[in-house]
Amino acid sequence: MTKKYNGEASGYPLREEGLRKRPRAGEILIQSILFFAGFFSIFTTLGIVYELGKEALLFFRTPEVKLWDFLTGTAWQPHINQFGILPLVTSTFITSAIAMTIAIPLGLAAAVYLSEYATEKVRKTLKPILEILAGIPTIVYGYFALMFVTPLLRSIFGRDVVEIYNMASGGLVMGILILPLVASMSEDALNAVPLALREAAYGLGATKLEVALKVVFPAALSGIAAAIIVGVSRAIGETMIVAVAVGAGPNFTFNPFRGAETMTGHIVRMSGGDLSYDSIDYNSIFAIGLMLFFITLTLNIISQRIVQRFREVYE
Amino acid sequence: MRKHLYVSLFVLLIAGLVLSACGAQTPAPTAAPTEAAATEAATEAPTEDPMAMYRPENVSGNIVTAGSSTVFPLSERMAQRFSEEGFTGNITIDSIGSGAGFERFCVNGETDISNSSRRIKDSEVESCRAIGREPLEFRVGTDALAVVVSRENDFVTDVTKEELAIIFSTAERWSDVRPEWPDQPILRFIPGTDSGTFDYFVEVVFNKDEAPILAASNLQLSEDDNVLVQGVLGSPYAIGFFGFAYYHENARQLQTVSINGIEPTEQTAEDGTYPLARPLFIYSTAQIMQEKPQVAAFIYFYLTNVNDEIIDVGYFPASQAALDEALNTWYTAVGLQP
Repeated sequence: MTKKYNGEASGYPLREEGLRKRPRAGEILIQSILFFAGFFSIFTTLGIVYELGKEALLFFRTPEVKLWDFLTGTAWQPHINQFGILPLVTSTFITSAIAMTIAIPLGLAAAVYLSEYATEKVRKTLKPILEILAGIPTIVYGYFALMFVTPLLRSIFGRDVVEIYNMASGGLVMGILILPLVASMSEDALNAVPLALREAAYGLGATKLEVALKVVFPAALSGIAAAIIVGVSRAIGETMIVAVAVGAGPNFTFNPFRGAETMTGHIVRMSGGDLSYDSIDYNSIFAIGLMLFFITLTLNIISQRIVQRFREVYE
Repeated sequence: MRKHLYVSLFVLLIAGLVLSACGAQTPAPTAAPTEAAATEAATEAPTEDPMAMYRPENVSGNIVTAGSSTVFPLSERMAQRFSEEGFTGNITIDSIGSGAGFERFCVNGETDISNSSRRIKDSEVESCRAIGREPLEFRVGTDALAVVVSRENDFVTDVTKEELAIIFSTAERWSDVRPEWPDQPILRFIPGTDSGTFDYFVEVVFNKDEAPILAASNLQLSEDDNVLVQGVLGSPYAIGFFGFAYYHENARQLQTVSINGIEPTEQTAEDGTYPLARPLFIYSTAQIMQEKPQVAAFIYFYLTNVNDEIIDVGYFPASQAALDEALNTWYTAVGLQP
């Protein structure tokens, strides 16, 4: 080993000043490779933002498009110059809200169970299974929603109430998709709470439930909040499930049993057809993409704030 | 436990890969002898019969086609038959819509054959000429648009064209169209704005004005006809339209709506009395057909065999006169006497 680190390997002669100052070629090489890896991911992000912005600008420059109408209009049909993005935004939020009402309670409960109650053996079995659930392709979830959850909903609420494509089934299945993500991230956060804290609480006579909910849970709150925000971002960005099960036409409605189209679903449908470049329809999908980008960016900023605000450091 | 799980998953994965590899390999050995036979036949073929060079087994090379999603199933079937008859090259068929098909045929000039569910537009002929292509038209069949409702729908059987326009635009509820129909919202499932089917419907029913149909409530659009079939099946109050082929595949659960009292049948589509029938075409040029005999061979095969397959695919045969005209065009293009 020592031979490797003397001057011969890197091509520099040993100097008398000492070993520390001599440059190491391998080290520099590795460092620059790592730097480029980081640089490329940032560069790609910048490239995407640039491309999105450029194409979206083409859209907003079109004389028929007015920013106010874009943000407040309730009809989206670019082909006939209706540019109100609200129907797409509301359905995105409705499906995401439904998903989170499934994913947050179940995910957190699963996380508390895995971290505080499950024995080591059970935990080591259950967690990989939970992670496999997260690995199922979302198109499969989409057909699960369309072929299983929708008929189920229709048999419960009646065929005339629940349309064949509806936001509820897409949202529910999206919740199942996000559940393992929330559970796994929250479990990591709970697990990271130092054992000393728990032991101190037990020492004061706290029950297991009190330790879990009143000591460990608040201590891990920042991590849990981050998990939830990541889950919400995932729900908003989720595409295949909503494209398959939620519907294929913008529809300004707050009834979850009706068909509608989310922002991602609309982009998929529009780009799946043969849109000609430079048409208003084509440019409009970039405006939607930009909108999506801003929404998830805002969520990420909020999540960082939350993490900073609630972070509790135990050293 | 975790390790166990990973090991079993890994084994499954490997097994899957091995299986799929075996599956992929089997056609290879069978393909090789035919290829050899084909080249042998090509050298032995007597030169006196000019049609011999257009037999499927005597041509090779690639054929690139793109265009209408309506013509796609027909072209796919013909390509399959063509390969079964001994053609060893590759035929690609992209289902991208008539307009996009012409863009690739006339603007980019990258396809040999363009499939279309409408006659080529003047502007498209011009762009074709601009890159030195003179499009030749071959009529291959007739498609009828089917306006469909679910079998559960017992009230819509026959509508007038005017009622059809109201159903697919301003009417909110079925009772808005005819008072005796149920007071239920109309759920509409139509092909996307990029499809030739949509264009054709708008042209015939709305006089080329897209605004009313796109502004309709409860409107779902998809380029995927199966999405539309699913949607129409979903409710007795749903209605949709798409190419007759897709109706044919789902005929058990769907029923067609007659227009002005005329049902879409072979007879009514052929003679043009059914208001929603349209011709199907393939386009190529004489130059491509001469430079790539495989393209000429495929078109000849297409025209002479299409009537064996077309009803099975779900369309109606073109009239004999139209097919004869197409064959004449073919003979002229390759420089032969019929």
